[in-house]
Amino acid sequence: MEALIEELKKQIIEALNLEELTPEDIDADAPLFGDGLGLDSIDALELIVILDKKYGIRLSSPAEGKEIFKNVRSIAEYVQKARKK
Amino acid sequence: MENRQWKGTTYGNSGMHRHLIRLLRVLDVRVLYVFSYLFVIPFCLIFNASRRSAWRFYRNGLHQGFFRAAWSVYANHCRFAEVVIDRFAMYAGKRFRIVVDGRDEFERRAAGEDGFLHLSSHIGNYELAGYSLGSEKKTIYAVVFADEKATVMEGRGRMFGRNNVKMIALREDMGHLFEIDEALSGGHIVTFPSDRMMGEGKSLSAAFLGRTARFPQGPFRVAVMRGVDVLAVNVMKEGWTGYHVYVTPLPYDRTLPKKEQVDTLLREYVAQLEKCIRRYPTQWYNFFDFWA
Repeated sequence: MEALIEELKKQIIEALNLEELTPEDIDADAPLFGDGLGLDSIDALELIVILDKKYGIRLSSPAEGKEIFKNVRSIAEYVQKARKK
Repeated sequence: MENRQWKGTTYGNSGMHRHLIRLLRVLDVRVLYVFSYLFVIPFCLIFNASRRSAWRFYRNGLHQGFFRAAWSVYANHCRFAEVVIDRFAMYAGKRFRIVVDGRDEFERRAAGEDGFLHLSSHIGNYELAGYSLGSEKKTIYAVVFADEKATVMEGRGRMFGRNNVKMIALREDMGHLFEIDEALSGGHIVTFPSDRMMGEGKSLSAAFLGRTARFPQGPFRVAVMRGVDVLAVNVMKEGWTGYHVYVTPLPYDRTLPKKEQVDTLLREYVAQLEKCIRRYPTQWYNFFDFWA
């Protein structure tokens, strides 16, 4: 799980152009949206594309996305369960 | 200073809109144009703050002299009245003369397997493109503001439905993003207004008419993240009842880092927007301080 969290952090930094951050700067349990990393809805779409391209996971509803994208750990838990790649 | 944000809705209530649609079933649009030039626009110019942002656009953006800018503000509001009337005339079943430049660019992509993006702007009358750039193979998903009046949404629904065009309403939750992503990955076409910030979303900066302006990140980042082709589509009014559609491919190097791809796309988009608005200076409809 920790390796997957690390991998996801690197992908988030790369996809969202957060070059000023390192994986260590991102708390796996901190919220990604709002007060946490301050991501917005287009960033959420980047995360959807990461799940699709890297792990073969296609999310089907916004409600599902809201739960999954709470923080890096919740994404990792979901990827571990649902990954096809 | 006017709010930088647009409220996302057409002026007037649903009753007024329905009345206008009924009227346009029997009246020639030109009668309503002349009525609005004489009796509506002068009052708008007195009571509506849009004259100030339009004045700044012509004076500071296009560097027009005092008298030319004053005339441009009036002509700009008249043109805006015409395109609003034309939109309701379409809902009432009227048709317009349309010429398309770059149709092959659209058709080549429409015949392929991949999805692509149309970037539109608040100049001219983009809704006309939905009637002229149809595709049998692909559905066009038009991203629209969710708070638009019911009559406008009904009219769009009726007209777009006949042309294989569906709407994706921008909402507070992430629903529209799923729809946009699904449409693009399913090989369809998504149209996105790209010159106006909506809500408190993140912005990109670019020099537009010599000064730095903010543009929404969404359309440009969506294109890059899915690696799809991008066309700028502007539908400009010519004469009384004619429209000229300009389809311009916006190239970007997909091997570059993502940020550079986004910057390139934005630069290309702004360049074609500038070119178009210099050619049709009275058809600029961002009635707020664009450079704030």
